[in-house]
Amino acid sequence: MSDDILTTLKILIIGQSGVGKSSLLLRFTDDIFDPDNQAATIGVDFKVKTIDIDGNLVKLAVWDTAGQERFRTLTPSYYRGAQGAILVYDVSSRASFERLDPWLQELNTYATKSNIVKMLVGNKIDKDRTVTREEGLQFARRHSMLFIEASAKSKEGVMCAFEELVQKIIQTPGLWESDHRTGFSLQEHSETEAGASWCNC
Amino acid sequence: MEVLTDFVTDDYLREFEVKYNDEIANSNGKPNDETVFQYAWCLTRSRLLSDVKKGVMFLEQLLASCKTDQAHKRDYLYYLAVGYTRMKDFTVARKYIKSLLQLEPGNRQAQELEKAIKSEMETEALKGAAMAGGGLLAAGALVALGMALLKKK
Repeated sequence: MSDDILTTLKILIIGQSGVGKSSLLLRFTDDIFDPDNQAATIGVDFKVKTIDIDGNLVKLAVWDTAGQERFRTLTPSYYRGAQGAILVYDVSSRASFERLDPWLQELNTYATKSNIVKMLVGNKIDKDRTVTREEGLQFARRHSMLFIEASAKSKEGVMCAFEELVQKIIQTPGLWESDHRTGFSLQEHSETEAGASWCNC
Repeated sequence: MEVLTDFVTDDYLREFEVKYNDEIANSNGKPNDETVFQYAWCLTRSRLLSDVKKGVMFLEQLLASCKTDQAHKRDYLYYLAVGYTRMKDFTVARKYIKSLLQLEPGNRQAQELEKAIKSEMETEALKGAAMAGGGLLAAGALVALGMALLKKK
């Protein structure tokens, strides 16, 4: 395995206030769920994490945007250059699911990369749901998005969501650039199981 | 920390500047607090120090007139800390981030900003020490030279 970073990717997390965007990110970066400190995000938060995809290290620069109305006019200024976006709703809140459309429109308007990879995440599956898995899946299909249900609290699906998103970005030609000047094949370090299912959810 | 180093694009800054100026022109010189806040936030993300200073000034006005709304107060305090750090005025930046942490002791975003301000401050102090150190070396050399000359006499 190489110690060098293959590439750095910019990922956005967007969605209604209170659906658990920051909790998903905190679970992903620090493996923590902190029910006592869940203050609404101020403007935009930022975290970095390096993950291993098929033997290649990929550095993720994740921008966690505030869902509150007062920040809505400004958060799109962070969309520029993003290669991946995670749109989150809360499976126990019908309202958060029904308001997905404007978020998607905003993303399509302000994201500068036309082939940005989009993922829909239904969070809080540890709670009683009011949105079925089928409904989420259908919405994702209709808008050519990846789809995963997850729980930042129970940890389920969280790693998978990020890994699958990154995998898809890496597979999209022209969406990212190697941090190495010479560049090398993605397959160079991968073993024979490359391309097989590595994420069972 | 990216929140301290990322920059807003000119077109965004202009968009909010226009909105702010329009409101001043159309509402007897009293723009909406939200408009001022959005413009101020943009200004604190500018490359120009003069813009950052202006943004901080707006935020301080908003904070002074914000008596009851805790939710808005935290937003002002956070971006005041960001703005002053960008201006390298760490004493004031720390004062604001401490006020925010008093309101919300467990706020991770605020805790991280406080850490970032501290490390930024230490980096600047090291730079300063390096420069002062260079000066001391030069002064030391002069003293040594003086002593040597005295001994000769």
